[in-house]
Amino acid sequence: MMKIIKESIAGTLESSDIQIIIVSNENAGIEINLKSSVEKQFGKQIRKVITEVLKKMEIQNVKLVAVDKGALDCTIKARVECAVCRACGIKEQYDWEVID
Amino acid sequence: MEYNLKEKRIFLDDTMERKNLEIFLNNQGINLDNRLDYTVGIYKSDKLIATGSFYKNTIRCLAVNAECRGLGVLNKVVSHLMSEQFLRGFTHVFLYTKCNYVRFFSDLGFYEIARVDDSVVFMESEFNAIQKYSAELAKTSISADRISSIVINANPFTLGHLHLIEKASEENDIVHVFVVSEAESVIPFSVRYELIRKGTKHLKNIVLHKTGDYIISNATFPSYFIKDEETVVLIHAKLDLEVFKKYIVPALGIKSRYVGEEPYCMVTKKYNEVMKESLEKEGIKFKIIPRLKINGQAISASRVREYIREDKIEEIKGLVPDTTYDYFKSKEAEELIKTIKNSKSRH
Repeated sequence: MMKIIKESIAGTLESSDIQIIIVSNENAGIEINLKSSVEKQFGKQIRKVITEVLKKMEIQNVKLVAVDKGALDCTIKARVECAVCRACGIKEQYDWEVID
Repeated sequence: MEYNLKEKRIFLDDTMERKNLEIFLNNQGINLDNRLDYTVGIYKSDKLIATGSFYKNTIRCLAVNAECRGLGVLNKVVSHLMSEQFLRGFTHVFLYTKCNYVRFFSDLGFYEIARVDDSVVFMESEFNAIQKYSAELAKTSISADRISSIVINANPFTLGHLHLIEKASEENDIVHVFVVSEAESVIPFSVRYELIRKGTKHLKNIVLHKTGDYIISNATFPSYFIKDEETVVLIHAKLDLEVFKKYIVPALGIKSRYVGEEPYCMVTKKYNEVMKESLEKEGIKFKIIPRLKINGQAISASRVREYIREDKIEEIKGLVPDTTYDYFKSKEAEELIKTIKNSKSRH
């Protein structure tokens, strides 16, 4: 299981991107707060993509704040992976098999 | 969408860059804040079209050239500043803006804390954070009839502060004392807090708190977008009280607030006037306690600091509680005394 050791940020607020902020959430499960310019159309899908990445990377307790500007699924996935790696202090030897 | 934009840090020590930035901001109707830690500029073929800065954990001096609005340039600026803030360990970010811009910042992931009429809105980057702060405070709530509150900086703790707290303690069942935790004073928060704790040990009905990020001192309230100084004080006071009334009063069931009389500083005096009006409107009692005088002179923390600066530690004996005096005589305080001697600022 990966452990969050610090707050992290990844992504930007520019069009077609998503900003992900990760904060540890001691034993309180996964909490996602999403603000999206396409919330009505894709809110459910965005949350699904985020949750899947967290699951794959075995993150169980996290507070994740996402500000979405219409990012595609692949972008969302990449930004969440990056934020998780930063939050867990992983700087090398990424486990690409798990991530993919 | 613009693809040929460059993000570049602006170094304010560089006179040319500073001058350019100042002209740019003035054209947008705002001034350059005199306290900034970091500034970024967005350039379109070497012409500055947008900028943003921060001081500690508050974003400031945001501006976008009129011709370039609506292209998402502000998003670029805020993204850049947020990443930089995280690098510096500030994960809870604040900003002040005019009411008509709230919509933009709300889209950029900021949440409203409080607002003053049509003039300013205080926002934060964390969802529900103020509500959580309020809920945490409520845990220290003790039910009683007469619950009072005091906000003090105590730089350092004097007999004057003690007098104010004792007075409130006498006239109430519970007194919540908020110690300003911003690092704007020459004496660090940990020391100020400790001296208050030690100096009030004999009072059984007081509860000490740190103000955290939500009680805004005039040291950090940004004034660059407000024209004259008097309006700055007025708006700052109103905003501060909005937060107090909206989140702190209900959490603790506060019925009154005590302040020390202010004979010297015009800013604080004005502030107290606004506070009186604003609190009484909500049915919260407001009480000004006259300054404690020794040998006909009101005690003030700045005079105590003055004595320390002049190496006259013995002189402070009659002005501060024994606990404060003992601290400044101790070995532990040596470093701090050096810092006080080297500081020129009023705070």
